[in-house]
Formats: sequence, C-alpha cells, structure tokens
Amino acid sequence: MSNVLKQEAVYAVTGIVTILMLVEYFFFADTQVWAETIRTWAVIIYNISLGLGAARLLISHSARVSKKGRDWQFSGLLLGLFAIMLLTGFAGYIMTGVQTNNGIYNWMFNYIYTPLGATLYPITGFYIFSAAYRAFRARNIDAALMLIAGCFVMLKNAPVGEAIWIGFATIGNWFQFTGQVPGMRTFAIVGALGLIAYGFRALLGKERGFYAGGGE
Amino acid sequence: MAIIVEGRLMTFILMIIFFVLMYYFMSINKEQQYTIRAMPALQAIPEAVGRAAEMGRPVLWTPGISGALNNSSQGPQILAAISILEYLTEECVKAGVHLQAIVPLPDALPLIEETMRTAYLREGKPEEFNPDQITFISEQSPYLSATLGYMQRYEPASNIFVGGFYYESVVLGEAGNHIGAMQIGGTNNTHQMPFLVATCDYMLLAEELFAAGAAISQNRDMLGSIKGEDFMKVILVAITGVGFILGALNITIIADLLGM
Amino acid sequence: MASGHYWVKSVDSTREAASKMSALSKLADIDRRVFYWILFIALMVPFLNPIGFPITIAPNTQDLYDGITGDQVDEGEVWIINFGYGVSAWSECHPAVTVCTKALFREGAKIIFIGPHYDVELTYNKLQDTCREDFATKEYGVDYVFLGYFTGGESVVAQLASDIASVFPQDHFGTPIGDIPMMDGVEDVHDIDGVLSSDTGDYGGHFMTQWQGPYGTKLAEVGIAMNGSTDLPRWQAGNFFGVSVGSRGGAELELLIGELGEATTAMDSISVSHLLLVLAIIIGNLGTITEKLGGKE
Repeated sequence: MSNVLKQEAVYAVTGIVTILMLVEYFFFADTQVWAETIRTWAVIIYNISLGLGAARLLISHSARVSKKGRDWQFSGLLLGLFAIMLLTGFAGYIMTGVQTNNGIYNWMFNYIYTPLGATLYPITGFYIFSAAYRAFRARNIDAALMLIAGCFVMLKNAPVGEAIWIGFATIGNWFQFTGQVPGMRTFAIVGALGLIAYGFRALLGKERGFYAGGGE
Repeated sequence: MAIIVEGRLMTFILMIIFFVLMYYFMSINKEQQYTIRAMPALQAIPEAVGRAAEMGRPVLWTPGISGALNNSSQGPQILAAISILEYLTEECVKAGVHLQAIVPLPDALPLIEETMRTAYLREGKPEEFNPDQITFISEQSPYLSATLGYMQRYEPASNIFVGGFYYESVVLGEAGNHIGAMQIGGTNNTHQMPFLVATCDYMLLAEELFAAGAAISQNRDMLGSIKGEDFMKVILVAITGVGFILGALNITIIADLLGM
Repeated sequence: MASGHYWVKSVDSTREAASKMSALSKLADIDRRVFYWILFIALMVPFLNPIGFPITIAPNTQDLYDGITGDQVDEGEVWIINFGYGVSAWSECHPAVTVCTKALFREGAKIIFIGPHYDVELTYNKLQDTCREDFATKEYGVDYVFLGYFTGGESVVAQLASDIASVFPQDHFGTPIGDIPMMDGVEDVHDIDGVLSSDTGDYGGHFMTQWQGPYGTKLAEVGIAMNGSTDLPRWQAGNFFGVSVGSRGGAELELLIGELGEATTAMDSISVSHLLLVLAIIIGNLGTITEKLGGKE
C-alpha cells in the first residue's frame, strides 16, 4: 500500500494533472474552472512548502545548538533572529491588519536584511571580471574567435567603445544580433526539446531519480 | 467551430509527433540497442568523488536558486539535477565521502532528502545518511552567502553546480576556483551558461542536463526517448530549412502553417 | 676568446630573454585581488569626475519606447508593471522602469504595480520618489494601484491571467480589490492592455509563456544585463515588443524621454569597467602567448 501511495498514486496524479492542463491549453480558449482550481492548488502547495522549509530550518538548527555542534553559535543567532522577525511580523499584522506593519520588523528588514542582500549582488561585477580574465584566453582558434567577439560586444555595450571607434558598435551589434542571438535561440529550442523529453520519461515512470529514487 | 484553439493547432500536432516518436523508440522498437555519446561532465563525477576521497574533503552539490518545481522552465532542471544527485550520492557512499547539499528550494526538499536516503539504502548503508547533509536556506542572497561560507569553511574538493542558476553561478564558480575545487556545472538557463562554462572544469549544456539521467543509467528505454528527441530535431531543422528557403522566395506557406 | 666572448654573450642574452619571458608570463596568472582593487579604484574616478560619453540608442530599446508612447498607448489603457527585481538590482532595472512609468502615465494609461520580490515595497517607494512629479498628478486607486507582493512562481502568473482577484483579494494596504475604482472591470488577462516585466530572474519568460503566447498580450522586458542574451532572441522573435538591457538600456530610455538620470550617470562607470576588462584580457593573453612561446623553446 505504501508503495502504491509513494509511487503509483504520484504517477497517476501527475499524469492526470498534465493531461488536464494540456486539454485546457489546446481545446479551450477561455480559462476553465477546473484548471484554475489546479493552479490555485499549485500556489497553495508551494506556499505550504515554504512553511515546511522553515520548520526544517528550525529543527536542524535547534539540534545543532542542543548538541553544540560545529559553529552552533551561528545557529543560535539564526534561531534568535528568526523568532524576532516572526514575532514582530505577526504582531504588526495582528495589531493593524496590514502585513509587516511593525517598526522593529521594518527596521530590521529595511536596514539590515535588504542592504546585506543588495551588497552581495555587486560582487558579481568583480567575479565576472576575474572569471573573464582567466577564461578568455586564445588557447586555440575557437577560443581566439570567441575572445575577439566578446571584446567587440563589450566595447559596443560601453559608450567608450563608440567614442574610440564607431566600428566597435557596428561589429559588436553584428556579433550580438547575427551571431549570438541565433546561437542562444538554438540553445533555447534544443533545451526545450530536452525538457519535454524529460517530462515524457518522467510521466512514464522511466526517469532516474524522479519521485525520489525510482529509475535504476 | 474549430476543436483546437486558433493558433495552437501546429503546436499540438508537433507535440503529438514528438510523443509518438519517443514512445516508438522507447516502447515499440524493442529490438534495437541505442548508444549515446559520452558526456565528459558525467564521466568526471567519479573523478570528482575520488578526488574528495583522496583529499579527505566533502563534495558540494547545489541546484542554484532555480525556482519553484511548478515553474515550467526551472522545475524540470531541478528534477534533472536530482537525477544527477542520485548518482552522485551513490558514488559518494561507495567512496565514503561526505556529500553536502545546499538547497534553496522548499518544495524540492522532500524529494532531495528521499533521493539521498534511497541512494544510501541502495548502497547498503542507510544508517550513514544524516538529514543534516541537506542544508535548506531560502532566498537568493542568504543562500549565496551560506554556500560561500560553506566553501570557505569546509573547502570542498569538488563542487557540482547543476540546475537552474541565476547570478549566483558566477559567484559560486569563482569562489570554487579560489579554493581550488574541481567543478562540474550544468544548466539550461541560457543567460548563465557562459558563466558556468568560464568557471567550471566540465559542463552539461542545455539538453545534456536533461539527458544526464539516461546517460548515467544507460537504460534502453530512456535512451530511446533521446533517439526520438534527435528525430524531432531533424524534423524541426527540416521545417526551418524549407521555411528559410521559401521565405527568401517570398512564399510564406511554412510560416502560415506554423501560425495555425 | 672571441668565440668564448660570443658564447658568454649568447648565454646572457638567453638569460635576459628568459627573464623577460618569465616576467611576461606572470601576466597570465595575476592574483584576482589585484584586479578587484584596480576595478574598485577605477570605478570611483567617473563618480568624482564625470566623463559623459555619447550614447546611441539600440533598436530593442527604441522598440520598447515606441511601444509605450504615441499611438501605441491609448488613454485609459490598463498596464501591469511587474517589479521582478529587488533592491540589489535597482541600479540596473530601476532607471528603465522609471522612464516606462513616466511614459505610460503621460499617455494616460492606468498602472497596476505588482512584484514577486520580498522587498517589493521598497522598490515601489523608490518609484514614488523617482517619478514624484508624475505620481503627483495621479490618484491612487483611480490611475494606479499597488497590489503588492506575490509568491508561487509561474503558477501565479498563470493564475493572474485567469483571475487577478484570486491572487490579490486586496491591495498592499489592505483595501479589498472590489473597493478600488480602477480595478472595477479589471478581472483577467483580457482586461489588461500591456505588461512590462522588469527582472533579475525570468518573470518576463513566465508572462511570455502564460500571457503573451496564449493571449497575445503586449509584453516588454526590462532585464539586467546578464539576461540580455535570453531576452534579445525573444525580442527578435516578436514575443517582447521591446527590451531594455541593463543600465545601458536605462540610459538609452532616459535619453529618449529627455530626462537624464541615474543610468546616464552610471554609463561612465560601465565604460571604465568594460575598458579595464578588455585590457585585463589582453594582458592575460600576452602572458599566455609568452608562456606558450617559452614552452616551445
């Protein structure tokens, strides 16, 4: 019975939902109530999973604190901040009926969490710089061609390129719109085919790993 | 009144052709044995695990920030990454290497945990599996900082970045390079492919990611679906080629047909 | 003796050449932190002393601007602007979104603001600031509405197409959607005239799959530079009527609307960083070539 619940039932539900959504897409121009219900369920299930994720986070870090495992102090800090955010967030909602309407919550969110997140993103610029320095090497003819094209596109994207020589923009545009765009489109189409094939295999129960360790 | 919604007829026909082709090669044409070209990125997984065993360090697996499983483009990438995780876990169990999964996807967590648990069970060491091998951390920036922190503290010998990546790809890839880890990447997100190619030693590009499960198992039926996929590619290339030639002659029949 | 002298000279010249060679080959392996510091310092220069290189308009940006101005937008049309970016990507996405908001307001369009980022409220507040004069002429609930944060990925985008109220039963401030005059008669995809999605992720793709593809909704994308390689093929294929790519796209839009702002300021930094990167690549290759030549000898 457990096997039926764990695998066959999952296959059946996935298959039925897939067929229903395909039927709605191809045979009905207007939204169907049953398809709308399925989509609502998808949203609900995803949001429930957020709660499960939070529960898992709490259990995992609580265990680390109680066992005094490696870096348990960080886990303790996480649990403390989690409690503060949760309590202040709920307090704001209970008192005013508006989400996140609490001074402490907003202060921590706006002046700690958000700036920390915003700080991480610019790191990308530095990392792209060092990655490009290391990867863009003319080790063979293919790499040399890619390097040249890359430099033209970079100089085309920066106003200084056109200021140095207008040809950077013309050639850079050619590389981007005639060379890169079709290449990316090929990846998109081929990737989509692979994605459909994966879905088909998964629906037939052939795909390795799908539904938690099926396959062979 | 048309049965199929206007503008979706050809999509429907092509989808049916695709399904029939795959089904034929998977389940009807049972006589033929299929082979698939070797994928260096998959062949490198045992090497990555072996390296970790020699160095006495862990292996890190992460699927990127991706998106929800119900996301039509990211969901299948996560599932394909989990297929690779299953194989990777088996290899790690065999070699006695610690595998750490850092996951920002709450809806995929149960699937990931079950996949790893099953792999340990299959290798006859269920007692060695520890749920703490999976770290859940939501949202992009916290996930990224947590993964960077793990890399700095534990210096994994090998990093496996397969799944739906966004800007974290270049940051993780460079951080991995900094600690000298062997890195295997894979994504279908076109905007992140260049960054993974630049920072990883091996790469699974686009459909290779989805075909990984078939390539690992060498299962005849799964390989049959890849053969069906290749036939579909031939059909699409033919349609594109004919459409291109006719279009150049101002004949729009292919474009009109595809728009039906 | 002569031959000995010649021999000694030859060794010296070989050593000299080898030492030059090894110095040059070091260029192939410069510590990345050196570059980080050079970049960090170089990026400060244009902020202290702006240069102001001229900017030309890319066709994808021009198409975006044309699609939200003039005959393309009628008074009273309802548009959605999706903040698919957080505070971290303000520099790349926000200038373009600012211009698009201004342009749509000036054409008399009504705008629904939504966002899948947890800090969407901050972005909305920032927009209130960067489009202050335009918002001052509009009335909340009549000309624009902020429905706020949503989660659930592509399923929600699909659900929005069929029933907006099921995703947003109330606006961000708790007002039931039925009490908002602007939302009267705005129920699903058929009541929306256009969507502008600004993303660090792929919400533009979700709107393409769930709105533009099935229903033909007008759709444009304001993406970070990294997403340009994905967005431009979609623009060429006609899925997006226009695309703005990164800060550069924002600067082009600022030029088009005639109000220079943050993105135009950032262009000097873009120039400096790109130029430095090209130089770094040349230096690295010089090292690699030297190494190769040394290896051959």
